Amino acid sequence: MKLLSLLSIGVLFSLPLQANEMLTEVPATASAALPDRQAALPAVPKKVGENYLQPASLTDIPAGVFGDKVRLGYQLFVNTQTLRDKYVGNQLSCANCHMNAGQQANSSPLWGAYFAYPAYRKKNDKVNSFQERVQGCFTYSMNGKAPESGSPELVAISAYSYWLGMSGLMAQYNVSGPVPELSDAELVKGAMRDDFPMPEAIAKNLDTKALSQLPGRGFPKAPEPELAYAPERGMIVYQAHCQTCHGEDGQGQIIAGVAALPPLWGPQSFNWGAGMHRVNTAADFIYENMPLGKSVPLTVQQAWDVAAYVNSFDRPQDPRFDGDVSKTQATYHQHQGYYGQSVAGKPILGTDSYPVFPLKNTVKP
Amino acid sequence: MKTSFYVLTVLAGLTIVNIVQANAAEPQQAIPPAAQLCTSCHGAQGQGIDIIGPRLAGLSAEYITNQLKLFHAGKRQNPTMLAMAATVQGDNIGLVAQYFSQQPVADISLQFRGDKVAISDPSERLAFQGDWSRTIPACTSCHGPSAIGGGNFPRLAGQQASYIKTQLLAWQDGTRTGDVDNMMGNIARKLTAAEIDGLSQYFANIK
Repeated sequence: MKLLSLLSIGVLFSLPLQANEMLTEVPATASAALPDRQAALPAVPKKVGENYLQPASLTDIPAGVFGDKVRLGYQLFVNTQTLRDKYVGNQLSCANCHMNAGQQANSSPLWGAYFAYPAYRKKNDKVNSFQERVQGCFTYSMNGKAPESGSPELVAISAYSYWLGMSGLMAQYNVSGPVPELSDAELVKGAMRDDFPMPEAIAKNLDTKALSQLPGRGFPKAPEPELAYAPERGMIVYQAHCQTCHGEDGQGQIIAGVAALPPLWGPQSFNWGAGMHRVNTAADFIYENMPLGKSVPLTVQQAWDVAAYVNSFDRPQDPRFDGDVSKTQATYHQHQGYYGQSVAGKPILGTDSYPVFPLKNTVKP
Repeated sequence: MKTSFYVLTVLAGLTIVNIVQANAAEPQQAIPPAAQLCTSCHGAQGQGIDIIGPRLAGLSAEYITNQLKLFHAGKRQNPTMLAMAATVQGDNIGLVAQYFSQQPVADISLQFRGDKVAISDPSERLAFQGDWSRTIPACTSCHGPSAIGGGNFPRLAGQQASYIKTQLLAWQDGTRTGDVDNMMGNIARKLTAAEIDGLSQYFANIK
């Protein structure tokens, strides 16, 4: 318990220190000062006939130091388990929720996010650079520890995201030549800023606002379900369409020590602070992207119900937890989710949650 | 007609296999009686005999069990296996599945998704990166690193090319079914003939 609190304090205090290049005021105190403004992932209405950005092929990444950073970013994104115990505390990889290695439209593509940062983020009540957004992913979705600002890992993921987006834009607006190289300090900021070096041919077509709202960004908002979402109906959906891959017990398919198919709840999945624990975010994701390969479409109702089911099990603790579930719930969980609640007569979720950032060999299989 | 010929051949072969077995050094594990017949086409240790029978070693017990049941149910079709699968029923399904799932496969150095970034071979690229313009996920996202398989997902690494090809074609034309939501049929239908050839060779050569 104590360790947990210390850890979360450490994480929260490290953020302001990293943020000095960023604009606005930095919150003076840690978690207690933050109201529940944990922002949902962007849910944008999906329009028919939209053209999505087409990043260049990975075979086009140039040789050299800059290209090496882009390549490392791809590798970390696809097999994030190479960072297990260093920055990752569960069995997930970024590419589990960002299809096609973060390139797929409507699957929170990296190229969509890169041009939308720096941005004000309710989750920590300040303007976040792109790397700070990615640090949040490590803290919550990866149930781990955020790499330090400017670390090779964050530079690499930023470089990969930038390269995907910029190569796509250059193709769209007929800008020839290689993707312009940026310094590490430039890369980690993100592109939604006036001093971002944007080629003229692109800038005259898209201003920073338009770039921050590229079609295909985020997960498309799933239509509202006809009936209020219900985990008990979701269980039936899960058994019929999901458990072949994710397992009867939701623990995924582990092959050679790596989750080929990801655990959805329990100690090896995302924690209670991750966006995906929200029923609406999970429903958006599932409705658009699942089952993998889209052999059958789920109905809107099925997507919401199964999102509720998956998120009705316990998982690693919210890193902002300070020893009192009801307080943590009141402060951070005023949204569609089950933290602090009892589902189907089971113990209140959050009272006996799994550890934050456990070492791999301490997690029981 | 064809079937009974196969059955005869198999039964004749069985005797030979048994003799060979008796002379060989201590087998690693006794072949359960229910699996005897299987070994004549699939090999004593399920290593497979090309064209006649695919490799079973390296498949999970769960997967083998499932396949026997799918043959029983007519969701997988093969004249020889129709007759052969019928000989394995009840508790023997589990025994046979256990036996073959425990047989050794070559130790290969695993390639995980992300190990390679730029992949020029189109089959390897499909295997590790998929083709999302056609909503084809990477084969290895279910079949695991180097497609060694696990659970419901069969090992493809080192499987016979002829067998992989036959199966992809069967998924494609709907003569093989039985997946939840036709998961594999849906993928196979998106593959071109050249891709099926390429992938079959590619996986067979992972040794």
